Parts: sequence; structure tokens; C-alpha cells
Amino acid sequence: MAYTPGNPGTKLDKNFENDLLAIADTKLVLGNWYAECVMNGRSLPDFAAILGMCTANYGHTRAIYQYLAAHGHDYDHLERGRGPEEMCSANLLDEAPSGWEDFIVSTWLTELSTWMMASGFLNHEDRAVAGIAKKIGQETYFHLKYSQGWFQIIGEGKKQTSLFQKAYAHRFPLALQWFGPARGKDTVHDAGIRDVPLKKLRDAFIKEAAGAEKLLGADLTQEKSIKFADDWRGDARRFGAMPDGLFEVVRFKDAELAH
Amino acid sequence: MATKLKSKKKIDQKRERGGAEPKYYEVFARKDSHSDLSHVGSVEAPNDELAQVRAWYIYDQHKWREMCVVPLESIITVTEEGKSAKIKMG
Repeated sequence: MAYTPGNPGTKLDKNFENDLLAIADTKLVLGNWYAECVMNGRSLPDFAAILGMCTANYGHTRAIYQYLAAHGHDYDHLERGRGPEEMCSANLLDEAPSGWEDFIVSTWLTELSTWMMASGFLNHEDRAVAGIAKKIGQETYFHLKYSQGWFQIIGEGKKQTSLFQKAYAHRFPLALQWFGPARGKDTVHDAGIRDVPLKKLRDAFIKEAAGAEKLLGADLTQEKSIKFADDWRGDARRFGAMPDGLFEVVRFKDAELAH
Repeated sequence: MATKLKSKKKIDQKRERGGAEPKYYEVFARKDSHSDLSHVGSVEAPNDELAQVRAWYIYDQHKWREMCVVPLESIITVTEEGKSAKIKMG
């Protein structure tokens, strides 16, 4: 079915566009993480689940790119014309997973943080935006459940629990960083585009992320003091450019085969 | 020449399968509110959460209105009392 945006042609608020791109690009990288790691799944049913989560995230990315394309952006440029310095994915996924526990921690934190951010647009005045947010929520429900299933299994192993705790301590600050400075400006909310303040989404993320303790059956460290240095790109919600190695993985290849 | 891998994928079969033996769930679904809840297949999973997700992605041939999973061990046979359930696809 053809995608039909709510108010095509109108120019969007720049900060709103940045938030959408940050979600879309992060999900592009997340989809590639799933694609790259699918053969590390533990069984045939796991392969199917990981591939399902991969394609769902690609779908979210493309839906957002199409929405932006309907509002003055060039789709081809968004999907395949940008260099690593223009990508707006979270730093959380810059570094490849060090093992299965790190993979579960990293993908879960990414699913959770992007869903939190998208949920802020559930009541957006443009039904196309609200619809994308709702769809992301419906599909992320299963992605989060997948992680929760694995928390329980990892929690049964002493060494695995330790690896999970180590990965969580490393990845959680990177996930929290994506929400920006705790006392930073919230221009999208101030403009009335997002009806939920960013602080509320950030706090909800922290609370949900702490919930893994119960399923894991072990304590987790949440480092909340994030240092935002001068090279923080607020518009991209990340520090610096996407690493070249990661860009080579996620960049659009073989465009002639895609259609 | 074959490349020697530095490390192998380490899987604790017992832990990751949820026990010494594989644990199975039967999957039931209906297409819409007028359809019967039908058996669509089965999945292997160590816990309920992974069973739900695996079932959802494996049996995605329809946009199901409703889907549920039942642990095979919870099924009580009637006509073959005392024997394990043998659920077959129609």
C-alpha cells in the first residue's frame, strides 16, 4: 500500500526533523546489527526472530525517510547520499558487540530508547507521524520481549550475568546520552510538536532500563552523569561522525538491485 | 586453506534451551474475530517470552488478529490418557 503523508509539501520544524532523523538513523544501524549478528542466534527460531526484528527496524527507518521526503527532503539522499559525518545514529551502536550478552544489552537499550523517543509523537497532529509512532510501538513490543526472554536465561549463568552487568555499565551511559543533556533545551516540546517533555521520556527510559535487574536477578549500575563536550552534535544526538568501519556496513549498497 | 577460528560460539545447551531436553510450545492463532482459533505450528523456546516472540516471527504468514502459545507439557490428553500429546498440523 502506498504511503500517504498527512500534510505533504509543508516544511517541517528543523528540530523535529532532527529528532526523526536521529530515530531513523539509529534504527538503520540497529537493523544492520541484527543482520550482521543473525547467525549468532542460538537456534533456528532465534534466526527468524532476529531477522524479523531486522526488517522491522529497516521498515521504521524507511517510513521516516519517506515522511521526510514528503516534506522537502530527497529520499535518495537520505537513504544513500549521506556520508558518515552526516549520519545521526546513536553512539550506543558505534562499537560492535563484544559477545552475546553485549548484543542483548545494546539492542535492548536501543529498542527502548528509540521507542521512548517515538512515543513522544503518538499524539502528533499529523496522523502520519502518530501512525509511524504507533507502528514502532506495536513492533517494538516484541523486540523488547525478546530481550526480556534472554535476560532470564543470561541470569541463570554466573559468568553470563557478569558479562551482562559489564556490558550494561558500558552501554547504559551511551543510551542515556542520546537523550541529550538533562537540563538542555527542549525546543520540540516548547514548540508544541511533541506533547511529552524530553525530561519525562528520559526519566521513563531510566526507570524502564532499571527494570532489567528483576528479570536478570542481579544488580545493575546506572551511570547517569554524562559529560557533554564541545564536539557534542545536539542536532544529531551524537558525538563526532559515524566510524568509517560502521558506515561501510550500513551504507546503502547495490542500489540497482533494490528495486 | 581453511581458516582456523579464534573462538567458537559457546552455547550452554541446557541453560539456553531451558532444561536438559528441548522445551516446546504449541502455537494457535486466528485471522479475525469470526475465525476459529487454529493450531498453526510449534516452537522450541526456553521460556514464555522467547516462545511468544519466536512464534510471532516464524508464523507470520498472516496478519493474525490473535495468537497464543501453550507449553506442550501443559496439554492433558483425553483420548490417549497418560500418553504425551501428539499435535499434528491439519
